[in-house]
Amino acid sequence: MTIATRNGDTLVGKRMPRLHDDRMLRGHGRYVDDIDETGVLHAAIIRSPAAHGTITRFDASAARESGEAVLVLGPDEIGRLTDPLPTTWRIPGQHLAAVELAIRTVRYVGQPLGVVVARNRAVAEDLAELVEIDIDPLPAVVGIEAALAPDAPLLYPEHGGNVAGGIHFGPPVEELDALFAGAAHVVEREFAVQRINPSPMEPRGVLAEWIPSTEQLTVWASTQVPHLVRQEVAVGLRLRVDQVRVVTPDVGGAFGGKTTLYADEAMTCLAAKVLGRRVKWIEDRTENLTASYQGRGQQARCRLGLDADGRFTALHVHIHGDVGAFLSTAGSGPFQVAALTIEGPYRFGAAGATVTAVFTNAVPTGAYRGYGMQESAWIRERIIDEAARELGRDANELRLLNTIQPEQMPYTTGTMLTYDSGDYPAVLRRAVEMGETRRRPSTDRIRRGIAVTGNVEITGFAPSALLEMFQIHWSGYETGTIRVNEDGTVTVFSGVTPMGQGIETALAQIVADELGVPLEMISVQLGDTATAPYSNFSSQASRSLPLAGAALITAGATMRERMLGLAARALGVGVEEVKLDGTVFRAGTTGAEVTWRDVAHRGWMGWGRGETDKILLEETVSFDPPGITYAYSAHGAAVAVDLDTGKVTVEDYWTVNDSGVLVNPLIADGQIIGAIAQGLGTALLEEAAFDPETGQPLATSYLDYVLPLSEDVPDIVIEHHVTPSPIITGGFKGVGESGIQPPAATVGNAIANAVPEIAAGLTATPLSPSRIWTLLEQAGLEG
Amino acid sequence: MTVPTTPAPARMRTVTATVNGVTRSAETEPRALLSDFLRHDLGLTGTHVGCEQGVCGACTVLVDDVPVRSCLLLAVQADGRRIETVEALAQDGELSGFQRAMRDEHGLQCGFCTPGILMSVTAAEREGLTAEQTTTEVLGGHVCRCTGYQGIRAAIEHHWQEAGR
Ligand code: FES
Ligand code: FES
Repeated sequence: MTIATRNGDTLVGKRMPRLHDDRMLRGHGRYVDDIDETGVLHAAIIRSPAAHGTITRFDASAARESGEAVLVLGPDEIGRLTDPLPTTWRIPGQHLAAVELAIRTVRYVGQPLGVVVARNRAVAEDLAELVEIDIDPLPAVVGIEAALAPDAPLLYPEHGGNVAGGIHFGPPVEELDALFAGAAHVVEREFAVQRINPSPMEPRGVLAEWIPSTEQLTVWASTQVPHLVRQEVAVGLRLRVDQVRVVTPDVGGAFGGKTTLYADEAMTCLAAKVLGRRVKWIEDRTENLTASYQGRGQQARCRLGLDADGRFTALHVHIHGDVGAFLSTAGSGPFQVAALTIEGPYRFGAAGATVTAVFTNAVPTGAYRGYGMQESAWIRERIIDEAARELGRDANELRLLNTIQPEQMPYTTGTMLTYDSGDYPAVLRRAVEMGETRRRPSTDRIRRGIAVTGNVEITGFAPSALLEMFQIHWSGYETGTIRVNEDGTVTVFSGVTPMGQGIETALAQIVADELGVPLEMISVQLGDTATAPYSNFSSQASRSLPLAGAALITAGATMRERMLGLAARALGVGVEEVKLDGTVFRAGTTGAEVTWRDVAHRGWMGWGRGETDKILLEETVSFDPPGITYAYSAHGAAVAVDLDTGKVTVEDYWTVNDSGVLVNPLIADGQIIGAIAQGLGTALLEEAAFDPETGQPLATSYLDYVLPLSEDVPDIVIEHHVTPSPIITGGFKGVGESGIQPPAATVGNAIANAVPEIAAGLTATPLSPSRIWTLLEQAGLEG
Repeated sequence: MTVPTTPAPARMRTVTATVNGVTRSAETEPRALLSDFLRHDLGLTGTHVGCEQGVCGACTVLVDDVPVRSCLLLAVQADGRRIETVEALAQDGELSGFQRAMRDEHGLQCGFCTPGILMSVTAAEREGLTAEQTTTEVLGGHVCRCTGYQGIRAAIEHHWQEAGR
């Protein structure tokens, strides 16, 4: 049964408000810091004040002797009581496969070194200040270039260099070099993407409770990945996984920043275990900006070869990824994905990508919404634009000339991704058309321009065979469970988790449709490892809806058949005669009725089942698709550039997006708009910068880390194309990250269109007023 | 590792305020922020703390009808004042008009910034600001990482229109 072919009054496809908004609007959200504080002790984290150095003394005696500290743990105690945390995705050459908890050499400002526990947070923070740490300073390595300099200080001298690992995708570079040599035209540029703080409005936080008598640890965590947290806590604290339960309450945004167990969270759990108490740690904003893993942070040299007609003959990109002080859980993952997705919606004679991961004395990088695909879109769409300018061609005409055609699907790229479906030229053409009515004239000192870009994205990251091939230790499949309870209510469980994206409502819509019962009967309960099916990958990589949704369609179809069978036996008729009408089963011939609730009750009594039928009124399905399903889009932007100030204003923004079958267009639009807003932040505003000498973070509050405000985000126009995914039951593709990938490239190209004099210099984000002004000055255009 | 000790008693102060129409009194440390007092001493966790730096607006409550960032005020400064938080917006169990508009226009995702925005917009409505003033001046002082603001702006416009303003 596929939803794509259904029509009429189905819930799938219905634009409807989310089921839990009422509760949130009343102030009844329950985030981790809202959980009852009775008996709770509070932790503060002791952090490194220096970017690089060896700890020669860690002296907590003043804190301990204050009479206020309930517990202080430093590197020695932590080393005795814990093991390093495992990682999930590594890169060839990676010498450290785990994240250390007991720190003797500090490698970034803010690195957690220990934990203080006291009766309240303010006291704990005061006590943390009393801890004296002597650090023998080592020179700080700030930024990729400094790390790769021949005489660079080394973060891991035993490793012999600051290169953390590397990988190449596609044909060998020599083969590509030969194609470039034979190309009619080659464009070459160096591009950069800044480090970004994911910045969920709710920072991270955990509440951990160890019960000494039963030896059970419960952790309430603001996380996207409760099962991953559970397995990492178990390793770190030397417990069996079944001694640990992780519960995700409401999560106030995540965006990739909550996809692992962090060292400070593990230390909080350890404190609870040592004390046999409830211990809470809530990250503050400065900690979030400086010590939560960041996203992006890369430099890339890209070459594009074209023949005399403008066909793309070769593409190569060499990405240098700034992984920071160590490789986090999947520290090189975003750079590998940037490499894998460099080709986007275009055909190349040949294409390849190389990744070099580089250690620096900065907080590690990791997942941030868009995960490498924002970076690849920036490089690809900008270099195509540069090629068009150098050749005097129209950029969109050049794009369309090289776009993969629908009849070429499935299409395998040079980096060996197989696109499953879609009409890539159609969305590009439509976005170009939409731009024609959005051109506005320039004035003397305000230049205006527009641009359109194309993108393809990995969604529904799966299958498990692919992850096994790359030795990525994430569960590539997703599981859904539907339980019809003894009172007829329906509870849905899945390994995916809610973090504000509205997945609870979308899954309820799917299950209500499959079972044929009213939406009110469904309760979607996620995020508790005691009840949720295993998934250590969970809600990231735009996978919740396509994978959990597909699993639940199959589970729902089976459950519906079972309920019909039970009803038929209760009514004493053949199953083909039974119809479900709302919450009542009716026999066509006799008109006899039995309620859904009574059938559920009979089911749990074990009555009326066939001899070989199972009793448990529960269906669990794991969905492991044959491949990745790819969403795609075209984005358009109209910008105004103030030549006097260098300020760029995005006056109009539009997108044509294909995420397959949409379950709830209101939610899908919200995901696209919200992600575009974040993408505009990357394009123009946000930057987690570091002092080049000391490695001190420069963005420590929202006064210096500038997030988009309402005035920075125009009303965004969205059109949908719907190509049902041929490999996902239900035809879904992911939608959570599509919005964030193209904005920087689109805005950059629109600026290039407005002020072609500075186009070649538009190679690094954020395209802040100072950066633009510098380019304007170089071009002699400044005020 | 230390032996747990009895914490030294901090100098406590009693704060009494009318919170959501009810007189509430609680002991608190003189340095406690109003946001912490509301959340942890009175248990009104609908008020959220996103930055404690006065920038994000998530912690906004009304003190004597004026929207303030409760992370920038000490609890003792609220002594004797009238405070309204998000928990008071629904009347007789019914969401307010603007709360309904936020739901219908998908003006919230994770919901963390939402209470602060609800309080600021409610104050704007009472003061008789126009929809235009509210979307620019009032919403302009809040950070939302999830929605891109479009749904919130639509909720303001829709609600103001419905109320015939
Ligand atoms: S928490 Fe008060 S302004 Fe952010
Ligand atoms: S809804 Fe998440 S920050 Fe606004």
